[in-house]
Amino acid sequence: MRRLLASPDFRAGFAEMLPACIGILPFGVVCGVGAAAAGASWLAALGMSAIIFSGAAQILAVQLLSSGAPFAVIVLTCSVLGLRFLMYSAAMAPYLKGLPPRWQQALAFLLTDQAFASAIRRFNATDDPRAGAQHFLGCGVALYLCWQITSMIGYFAGNLIPTSWSLEFAVPLVFIALVAPLLRNFPNVVAAVVAGIAVLALDGLPMKLNLIAAGVIGIMAGTIADVARERWTRR
Amino acid sequence: MDATLKLWAVIVVVGLLNYLSRLSFIALFAQRSMPPMLERALKYVPAAMLTALILPMIVAGPVSGLTASAAMTFDPKIAAAIIAGVVAYFTRSTLITLALGMSALWLLQLLG
Repeated sequence: MRRLLASPDFRAGFAEMLPACIGILPFGVVCGVGAAAAGASWLAALGMSAIIFSGAAQILAVQLLSSGAPFAVIVLTCSVLGLRFLMYSAAMAPYLKGLPPRWQQALAFLLTDQAFASAIRRFNATDDPRAGAQHFLGCGVALYLCWQITSMIGYFAGNLIPTSWSLEFAVPLVFIALVAPLLRNFPNVVAAVVAGIAVLALDGLPMKLNLIAAGVIGIMAGTIADVARERWTRR
Repeated sequence: MDATLKLWAVIVVVGLLNYLSRLSFIALFAQRSMPPMLERALKYVPAAMLTALILPMIVAGPVSGLTASAAMTFDPKIAAAIIAGVVAYFTRSTLITLALGMSALWLLQLLG
């Protein structure tokens, strides 16, 4: 363990993620604020960040819990959102192939959008999968620690911020920051527009089922647009 | 179901499902490649799911669930969200989007 923490690759990965930690600070804080607003204990708020370790899933779960959605609907809706990790997992798999299972299991747990982007760069730059893995571990550990700290800041400081500041508006803003840059590509625009219309049109559905229904419809629309565009350009 | 129990059940089950998704192609089916159609569909999960998550937070107010009436009156949240969207599109920065989006909301609330 000590040898690992002393390894230059681990340290480089850890240090490389510190600027990204500033970027995820507001997101983590918002997750903590959301958990506090939903009436979670500090331990549950920490458990959420430590076990789920995905901002979007945590906020979605909190929203659904506050609106009284049943357990099965919450799990189902969150798991559709979590499907994107299949994509990261498949992209990461070739780089982690030769590693011992324990390394694979640990690194899979730390797989996030930010660590993913940085790790791919490092793996491509080295021939030694061990060095790449240690670098990835450094990235993942830095983000993980930062995530727990920021969500606790949000949980405890959120109560001190007056409601007139409309801090809850930070939640959609964080998601807008994630989605808007995706809209440079046509199928993503179709997926977003269709999902957006569907979620409002299906507002009458009980148990917040409009979220998962709109998500699935949007994913299908994006996929169809992707296939259609490919056929069109091939002609 | 008891609220605390339900919360912890959600944390554990969603956490486990997320972990299995993360582990999937790294360990569980390392020998297989992803079906091409699945690979294509997964690319649109973030845009579709996040948009479905965002819109109800902005269009329907925290009190009323009536989207029609919310659309009729001027809502600073909608205007601020559009500004934030444009900012995010060009800067790709969460911090700048948050700062300008919140400022826009406060300014519009002051004016309105």
